[in-house]
Amino acid sequence: MGAYVIRRLLQMIPIVIGVAALVFVLFTSVGEDPARVALGQHATPEALAELRAEWGLDQPLWKQFLDFLVQIVSFDYGRSFNTGEKLMEKFQQGALVSLSLTVFPFLLGTLTNIAIGLLIAYFRGSWLDRISTALFVGSMSISYLVYIIAFQYLLAYEAGLFPINGYESGWSGLQYLFLPWIIIIVVSAGPDIRIYRTVFLDETKADYVRTAFAKGASESAVIFRHILKNALIPILTHVVISIPFLILGAFLMERFFSIPGVGDIMINAINTGDFPILKGLTVLIAIAYTVFNLVTDLLYAWVDPRVQLS
Amino acid sequence: MRRTSIDPRTTLGILLGLLGALTVLAGCGGEEPATPGNGKKIFTDARRSAHKSLDPPRQFDGASAEIIMNVYDTLVEYDYLARPYRLAPGLLESMPEKGPDGRSYTFRLKQGVRFHDDDCFEGGVGRELTADDAIYSIKRFADANVNLKSWVLLAGFVTGLDEFREKTRELGKGVDYDTLEVPGLRKLDDYSFEVEFTRENPLALFPFAMTSMAILPREAVEKYGEDFASHPVGTGPFRIKQFSFRGTMILEKNPNYHGTYPSEGAPGDAEAGLLAAAGQRLPFLDEVHMPLIEEPQPAMLKFKKGELDWIGIDKDNFPNMAYQDEEGRFHLKEEFAEKYHHYAAPRLTAEYFSFNLQDPLVGPNRALRQAIAYAVDTPAFIELILNGRALPLQTIVPQPIAGSERDTGFQYYRRDPEMARKKLAEAGYPNGEGLPELVFEYRAATKDARQGFEFIRNELAEVGIRAKASFNTFSAFLKKLESSNFQIASAGWQADYPDAENFFQLVYGPNRTPGPNSSTFSNEEFDALYERTRYMENGPERFALFAEMAQIMKDEVPLLLRFNSIAFGIYQKDVLNMKRHMLIDKPYKFLDKKAEAMPAAEAPAP
Amino acid sequence: MSAAAEGFAAEEVVVRGDSLLRRAWRTLRRDRLAVISFAVIALYVAVTLLGYAGLLPDMQERVGEKYEPPSLSFAKLLGTDIFGRSILYKILAGAKTAMTIGFIVTGISLPIGIGLGALAGYYGGRVDAFVVWLYSVISSVPSILLIVGISYVLEKGITAICIALGVVSWIGLCRLIRGEVIKHRNREYVLAVRLLGAGDVTIIFRHILPNVFHLAIVTASLSILSAIKSEVILTFLGVGIQDGSSWGTMITDATGELVSGIWWPLAGVSGAMFLIMYALNVAGDALRDALDPKLID
Repeated sequence: MGAYVIRRLLQMIPIVIGVAALVFVLFTSVGEDPARVALGQHATPEALAELRAEWGLDQPLWKQFLDFLVQIVSFDYGRSFNTGEKLMEKFQQGALVSLSLTVFPFLLGTLTNIAIGLLIAYFRGSWLDRISTALFVGSMSISYLVYIIAFQYLLAYEAGLFPINGYESGWSGLQYLFLPWIIIIVVSAGPDIRIYRTVFLDETKADYVRTAFAKGASESAVIFRHILKNALIPILTHVVISIPFLILGAFLMERFFSIPGVGDIMINAINTGDFPILKGLTVLIAIAYTVFNLVTDLLYAWVDPRVQLS
Repeated sequence: MRRTSIDPRTTLGILLGLLGALTVLAGCGGEEPATPGNGKKIFTDARRSAHKSLDPPRQFDGASAEIIMNVYDTLVEYDYLARPYRLAPGLLESMPEKGPDGRSYTFRLKQGVRFHDDDCFEGGVGRELTADDAIYSIKRFADANVNLKSWVLLAGFVTGLDEFREKTRELGKGVDYDTLEVPGLRKLDDYSFEVEFTRENPLALFPFAMTSMAILPREAVEKYGEDFASHPVGTGPFRIKQFSFRGTMILEKNPNYHGTYPSEGAPGDAEAGLLAAAGQRLPFLDEVHMPLIEEPQPAMLKFKKGELDWIGIDKDNFPNMAYQDEEGRFHLKEEFAEKYHHYAAPRLTAEYFSFNLQDPLVGPNRALRQAIAYAVDTPAFIELILNGRALPLQTIVPQPIAGSERDTGFQYYRRDPEMARKKLAEAGYPNGEGLPELVFEYRAATKDARQGFEFIRNELAEVGIRAKASFNTFSAFLKKLESSNFQIASAGWQADYPDAENFFQLVYGPNRTPGPNSSTFSNEEFDALYERTRYMENGPERFALFAEMAQIMKDEVPLLLRFNSIAFGIYQKDVLNMKRHMLIDKPYKFLDKKAEAMPAAEAPAP
Repeated sequence: MSAAAEGFAAEEVVVRGDSLLRRAWRTLRRDRLAVISFAVIALYVAVTLLGYAGLLPDMQERVGEKYEPPSLSFAKLLGTDIFGRSILYKILAGAKTAMTIGFIVTGISLPIGIGLGALAGYYGGRVDAFVVWLYSVISSVPSILLIVGISYVLEKGITAICIALGVVSWIGLCRLIRGEVIKHRNREYVLAVRLLGAGDVTIIFRHILPNVFHLAIVTASLSILSAIKSEVILTFLGVGIQDGSSWGTMITDATGELVSGIWWPLAGVSGAMFLIMYALNVAGDALRDALDPKLID
């Protein structure tokens, strides 16, 4: 077990290097040019050259890439081009904010969605199944933006149930999060329930279900003792793998509700070519992602002793 | 495996519990944060984007400037009320006096101006501002290791300053400015110094009003190093109470501020109540709250709830809230006019299509460019796409700047499909036959750019010209302009200073790419006229020459002039002294709020 | 069911592949909703083909005044936009774009996913390590970032979007196929064929893939769906399709117009999206049932 974990952690190294190379190629060589964006109508060749030199963009690409690898190892991504903020501080603050936005609705949403998914799978083929499928697909056909604008207008502005937007840390800031939470739960319901329904349906087709019925097991026993348990593996995969991306928050939410999280930082960095932010964020998320992948596999073994870690 | 089985009843219980909790908590969410009244005057105004740096010479973006102009002071600043825009003394006692050589100016500082209290000073008490600070700040502005963004606006102006910049580049970071003399900067005494310019130049003082040239204390730069960008120490009307990049920035009143409200205004200002505070000590507000709200929709909802004091109206909300009458005046719809005041003021911008004269198709074919100019209906564009919030440009100079069509009386092209077809035939493409599809470059992929092009595409199609668009990222767009790798570009210019020269230089030959003249227009007659008017004082003589220049631009069409957009905004009725100034984006120090109505209990008994 | 019996059943499928299709068809025909869904998909495909044949009405044509609400004339059935263009015509043009993206993305991701998944699962070892590395790298980068990055490389437009979405969307399928192939690799029927002297290529293509192909079909129907949705988000970020002939641009524009009480563009395009997404969902489900060899009694 210990050896397995160590081996898996070692496998992270080539993955992180791969991610670093990918991000480096995509953004350093072809993305927005931060110097041009910063200078705008006064982008003279001299000014561009000076600004690039200041940011180390005049260095040969291989050297920039090596510096990047050093940053990854030392966990110090330097300062943002645009604001000069220390990135690790910025990420830490931003990640906490993003998590406060996403974790609660994720947990609550996942539980409800699994329950509803199971319910619908149980009644598969019936009118309930069809109507709810139509409902969830319908909810998926409406743009995320429309939910935000409509909920903000109706619930916050017209009904006055919530503040329109804003953010504060600590318990008093909770009031600002309710509406975004509700929207996230509503928006994630459609796609999630669809996935869970499929997962449960797949399990109902498995051999052991037929065997169980053949042995005379009652329907509820089959559902709860067999199907739910066996469906845990695909569900776990889906859930655990989603966690690292919770750090990124929901950038549209963050924009519309003025929540200073990481998602909005990333979108702004894309638009202004702030490479240090893009590089730092991607690598951190990639590390988190691989770690959570490992966690999933460990959970598999825990859920199902037949799975051997080798 | 028993340990992993989930009891459905437990699950349901948890679910219901959480839902219940959510409902209860949601109920509490309705309470608005108590308005922190207690007699304080608080002005709330949203920022549209996060600032980049509060170190004056290191920033060159609107969001940073908005804060810096309220925390720092410049030597000269724009007069808040005067129109057309003109300079007024800022940290100076009076406007700099020109010496007998016409090139040297004496700057006399106000006495008794103190920096904000800060730990970088002895005992934490702000010290008095002196001529040394001004010279230090000008040198730091010129330091090649510090100012990478706005130097170009002072380059070549001050005797010896360009050489100084080269020296700092050679010596690297952390140069001791005292060891490098600049011949054009001479300290006379603690409160006065002389600046010698390289030539007689009426534009020379404008750069001293830029936020990048704000005056700052050496102690703070040395104490805070790189963090100086988030730790400003100025002499301005406000100082930072709560610093935040992406949350709410809070400014608080500097009780020792030296400035006073202007005592003279433009015609009509007195009637509008803008002179009620004449001569009073600034600022009037106790605090300014600046939350970051990037999207227009929530900002408007907050404004309507009374949580913001001031907002510009975006395109989507405009038709709901306001309209333009037949004479072109703007009004708020009745229900909003009862609650809010509004303003409509032209910006200092010019939007145009730039023809790349190096392009083999549009470059050599003047008649083709003229055909396009005749095909486009700018007033209709303004009405449909911009809800009327723009003025068609008649010359490259926007209306609020001296030398615009208001002074020259010049008229640009009007849409005339007949003429367009005639010119098209003259260009060698009767009814557009044989003319390849033209490519328009845009600097963003926004809805406005897309719809704007769609309008143009249709107008051109009516006379037989086919066009398509390429929507670039901003840097890709600039790169195309810089390398003359485009055909027609939708470009614009925002005034660096309110003088017509700043706009005519856009087609001045020597400013060709990679300079701001991206169409690479080069016309001897125009260049000679430009050079004559460049350093001339405004007046009938200069305006007459402008008309000649405008005529050349109309004949040759290096740029197809389009419009000068209008800023339209609304503010709450209790806000006082609001007059939209395009060079003072956030004039918090002049603004005031009506004192809150006395609570009923304290009202005198009848 | 013993392993041997299962192997036999699978073998039977391979030998009489046509009967699987016939059986699938029979199952599908019984499900009326599924038939309707296939009809809807066929309709969208027809619109796409008409679009390529140049037979759709011109979406640029100005059929009325600006912002006319829906009325009973064909062109104005769903109202008009800011330029007086027909929303219906724009939706049709957008359907063409959406379907094109859906099919091309699936066309890219399906072969890559199946190919790499089968190779990795069958050969294991270094090949497997490489494929796993490749998809681990791609899936650990947030896909928005990856797609925006790729569209910078390829400039904007429909090709860039298709390739970018294709590059990120093969991973799920690849994982799935790899897992299934590993399962099948050591089953008796494969061992038997190998003993009979069949080469690796024959085994993979003739014997293993047909047994996992139903997964690919189902994934394809879902992949079309997610490609259509992604286009909308990309357009909001400014890297989508720009000439107004896509649902993404329509939705981005319409969301702002909603504030001024102009609801019909959004309603129209959301409705068009709902129809095709619902049809793809139902069809995907039905196909899953009809094609799954496990369910053949």
